[in-house]
Amino acid sequence: MGHAATEAAFAAAILDPALPPPAGLTTARGAPDEKRFAVYRNNVAVGLRKALATRFRVVERLVGEEFFALMARAYIAGARPASPLLFAYGDDFADFIETFAPAASVPYLADVARIEAAVTRAYHAADAAPLAIAQLAALPPERLAETRLAPHPAAAMVRSRFPVGSIWQAHQSETVAPVSAAGGEAVLVARPGFEVGIHILPTRDAGFAAALFAGEMLGDAAAQALPADPDFDFGGALVGLTGLGAFSVMTRMDGGGEDDGDD
Amino acid sequence: MNRQTIALALAGSLASAFATAAYSAPLPAEKMVGMEKCYGIALKGQNDCAAGAGTTCAGTSTMDYQGNAWKAVPAGSCVSMDVNGHKGSLEPKAG
Amino acid sequence: MPYEPLHASRLPPRAGAGFKPEHYADIVETAPDIGFLEVHAENYMGDGGMPHRMLAELSARYALSLHGVGLSIGAARPLDKTHLARLRLLIDRYRPQSFSEHLAWSTHDTGFLNDLLPLPYTPETLARVADHVDEVQQATGRQLLLENPSTYVLFEESSIDEIEFLDAVAERTGCGLLLDVNNVMVSAVNHGLDPFAYVDRFPLARVGEIHLAGYDETVDGAGERLLIDAHGSRVREDVFALYRHTVGRCGAVATLIEWDNDVPGFAVLYDEARRADAVLADAAARRPLSRSA
Repeated sequence: MGHAATEAAFAAAILDPALPPPAGLTTARGAPDEKRFAVYRNNVAVGLRKALATRFRVVERLVGEEFFALMARAYIAGARPASPLLFAYGDDFADFIETFAPAASVPYLADVARIEAAVTRAYHAADAAPLAIAQLAALPPERLAETRLAPHPAAAMVRSRFPVGSIWQAHQSETVAPVSAAGGEAVLVARPGFEVGIHILPTRDAGFAAALFAGEMLGDAAAQALPADPDFDFGGALVGLTGLGAFSVMTRMDGGGEDDGDD
Repeated sequence: MNRQTIALALAGSLASAFATAAYSAPLPAEKMVGMEKCYGIALKGQNDCAAGAGTTCAGTSTMDYQGNAWKAVPAGSCVSMDVNGHKGSLEPKAG
Repeated sequence: MPYEPLHASRLPPRAGAGFKPEHYADIVETAPDIGFLEVHAENYMGDGGMPHRMLAELSARYALSLHGVGLSIGAARPLDKTHLARLRLLIDRYRPQSFSEHLAWSTHDTGFLNDLLPLPYTPETLARVADHVDEVQQATGRQLLLENPSTYVLFEESSIDEIEFLDAVAERTGCGLLLDVNNVMVSAVNHGLDPFAYVDRFPLARVGEIHLAGYDETVDGAGERLLIDAHGSRVREDVFALYRHTVGRCGAVATLIEWDNDVPGFAVLYDEARRADAVLADAAARRPLSRSA
């Protein structure tokens, strides 16, 4: 067998446990040994499962180790890593969980996974100066409504109809604390400096924050938020989100995104 | 509301947010700390395992768990937690 | 092919430790006297954040060894140019004293197989590996140290001895070698070879770094001892004896304590490093000028 064919057969047998070990393998005693090939198959399988368990610790605690291992195995079978940068492995694990029928009895599981995926992404995200409140204050009032803010490269939002921030928090200690919250929560993951912060946003500001993250202008985002909740406070929300490191520094001090035309 | 009214309302709201936080523009960086505390709820524990999976050049003698994923039942803390009326089911879903 | 002059490995001939992020605060606070730190290159290929901050800080305080685990030098397919560019960026940014990779493959058309997989030793694979090593050295402007693998199976088609294979790659490319003494023990036991004879035949003058780690033990299908290269325990006594033998022959060479699974507190790694340091100091006292290459 040539080099490429040997590796293709080896890879195929690692990926499909139903296949026998590839032909052409042997041992010092001259006979092939299935248990020896199984070491490679096992290294790959356990390595990926541990990678997911490291990144999705709360998900594992929620469903238990055994269920997590089976769910991870089902995910891995359809989502082999494409790159050797394993810290990015599992970026779409939450989407898989949403479609994984045996996990349907835990409907908040996928959103908890979204928080955990966002934390790792934030940890490795590009360094960028966060928008300072001073910059916000320096915006000309008449340009405020037409201004667009750029999300910070480490910032991400998870909006859920479940109290996923409180659930995540309850699983940070050895003994799982009771979850006192009910209803939905919006969680902001941000890293204005080097430390990743996880914050539950005030419910009244969730839609506004989501609109800004979607690239809408401040005026439009506020106009959507106000009818939804009369308690919505534009200034408080904007200063609060900015203080948590949700946005990148503005490159143009006269306000506005690249594409806002002149009135 | 017309555009002018909206612009004024937003500017006024922002100005009062600055005032509530007990400072006026331009804002010194150290004052922002106080503002963070009155907005949202910062969750603890965020420093653990944030790196995600590290690579390894090692193998493992831990054996991969074999089993049927479609017959599995969640059995962690979700079983006892009541979240918006949902408790982890003790029966596998049909399918 | 004659090779352009390269920056060779410049690690001090002392014991070092594999760096893990959970040890960062401990290392910065206690400033342990350790020869060097080694990191897996791929863990520092993100865009920013703590990983780069830690590496910047540590590389300012300690000699740094960059150890790649994902280049797939032993693959039949061409090297991943994107990955090579990331590696170059990392090397330019942190100027590590050493850069090493494995005689193994992991990238296939179906994606990345997260293990160091074995290859047959044939004239064809020798030519391929030499081309790949050459390409890596040209792309990074650095000499590469190529590590001997730990293996669990043999290939019927192999026609070249592993040591001759490694020596030939080094001869053709000017690369150095990384001698993993634990891998020697694992492969020797798994394939019924004498580990001391392996070391005695190894081209020790080419060795720029030694690795030490702990193995796990099981049995194969025929009930024979099968060692697993697990990196999850202290260095086993037989490996340490082999290490003493190795250093006795080649003199003091930078030696890494590797620990990748069930990583203990830094004090344990430090303790292991001190053990290796004692062996190195002993060798240096007896053969002060042994390393002239």
